[in-house]
Amino acid sequence: MDGAINIQGLSKKYAGSDKFALENLTLSVHPGEVYGFLGPNGAGKSTTIRTLLNFIQPTSGTAQILGLDIVTDSVAIKKSVGYLAGDAVLYPKLTGREFLSYMGDLQPPKHAGYVNELAKRFQAELNMKLRDLSKGNRQKIGLIQAFMHEPAVLVLDEPTSGLDPLMQEEFFKLVRESKARGASIFFSSHNLAEIQKTCDRVGFIRQGKLIAEQVVAEVAATAARTFDITFADVPTRAELRSIAGAKVEMSSPSQATIHLSGDLAPMFRVLARHKVLGINQRELDLEQEFLHFYKGESK
Amino acid sequence: MKITKWTLKQRKWSTLWWSVGLVAYITLTLIFYPSIKNQTAQLDKSFDQIPQSAKALFTDTQDLFTPVGYLSSQLFYLMLPLLLAVLAIGLGSSLIAREEDSGTIELLLSRPVSRSSLLVQKALAGLVILFVVSAVCLLVILGLNNAVGLHIGAEPIAVATLYSFALAALFGAVALAVASTGRAGRLASVGVAAMVGLASYLVASLSSVVSWLEWPAKLAPNHYYHPAEILSGHYEWWPLVGYTAVIAVLLVAAVTSFRRRDIG
Repeated sequence: MDGAINIQGLSKKYAGSDKFALENLTLSVHPGEVYGFLGPNGAGKSTTIRTLLNFIQPTSGTAQILGLDIVTDSVAIKKSVGYLAGDAVLYPKLTGREFLSYMGDLQPPKHAGYVNELAKRFQAELNMKLRDLSKGNRQKIGLIQAFMHEPAVLVLDEPTSGLDPLMQEEFFKLVRESKARGASIFFSSHNLAEIQKTCDRVGFIRQGKLIAEQVVAEVAATAARTFDITFADVPTRAELRSIAGAKVEMSSPSQATIHLSGDLAPMFRVLARHKVLGINQRELDLEQEFLHFYKGESK
Repeated sequence: MKITKWTLKQRKWSTLWWSVGLVAYITLTLIFYPSIKNQTAQLDKSFDQIPQSAKALFTDTQDLFTPVGYLSSQLFYLMLPLLLAVLAIGLGSSLIAREEDSGTIELLLSRPVSRSSLLVQKALAGLVILFVVSAVCLLVILGLNNAVGLHIGAEPIAVATLYSFALAALFGAVALAVASTGRAGRLASVGVAAMVGLASYLVASLSSVVSWLEWPAKLAPNHYYHPAEILSGHYEWWPLVGYTAVIAVLLVAAVTSFRRRDIG
């Protein structure tokens, strides 16, 4: 119960639907942790987030943020929470500055000047009406309103949506800084690369159910790694295939690609018997891991 | 009251345009009184031909062309409460509902603001807008009162305007209460509030000529509103207390249904 976010058996069935949008979800986000919530569209990511923020009522189960119940203590919770909605809907007739002033009136920033600092970092246009801004520029304003009061918990639904790569980097930097000051961050995404870049742990959700949860560093450790190896001599295919946990492809008699799960030692023992001209490890493709989890989705 | 303040700020232009429109309507209605006043006898004669039931729909007095009769039949009996009710129903059906439809309500509720507080602050913004527009109407009527030769007391005019404001607020509260129940309520709120308002007006008006409507008329808010009597200086405060109580009940109903349901 000491997590920044604790969810126990949370389920949500919308009125008029016989299917659970969220089914028996249990997870926790530790203090100072960045948790990536990954899943395809319609998997239940936004339902989870909107339940946590008490916009929708859970059908069953409970959850706490900073030890407070999401339903009964919702107002108190929001003193310490920053939220960004998936579609970053803002007031179209207000300028960015007016909008942030409105949000600041409802929850004043801890430090004067921090809003301007964030606006500068994101190169946000504050003087134009929000309806005249592009989606990416509106997203920047949405991010500023979520971070501007330096909350202890950030709940962000698809935060990088619409941002250009430079601004995505700025967002990742802001996430790291928030983590460094002790904030816990729960963010949903369908982009594994950004989860890999920023998150400590990742939860995979599909059809309303949490199907896997892993420490990102462990995913990297347990995932199959791919090596491209160039030999000066010619190893036999059978010899390479004898490496435990290896799948081998030979593009020429002296060039092999080895996909290796688990321990590296058996591969190096075999390689040591040969003259190796080059060995190149491909960057870990967590996307493949992701696809592995979601294999059934496209069928 | 930050949400009230920002809602008023966001609605300042529409409030201004409503005020301008009503000022124009009232002015156009009242500036014709000097020319009508001189033909009272002839006009009374021709209006005597109109059936009683038809007359009941637009006035609560037999003397249509006396100052009180004119102001009541042309403005206070139907048009002013009607136009203010259109504004109030529009506000009641959109103050929460528009934020919910567009998704901006999540921005407000992600701040430390309870749903009850949000709804009450929005309702207060609606009341302020309605009050400002009503006050502008009152000022214009008072400004033209002597100029066009009506010479009715300022206090009765203010009380009649207050009644119109309260009636409109009541129908606006119906719209808010219906819109607060959820998606279906949002779609139905204008229709339901307009039907309640129309039924109240028709039943109250026709009860003077249709005897079996006398009892149901007691349930109609308009039944307790007699502008000709008010403008003549005969009025009571208890109907206003009654309207306020009904508005309070509707607000409590709105808060109750809005507090625990799914947003969106």
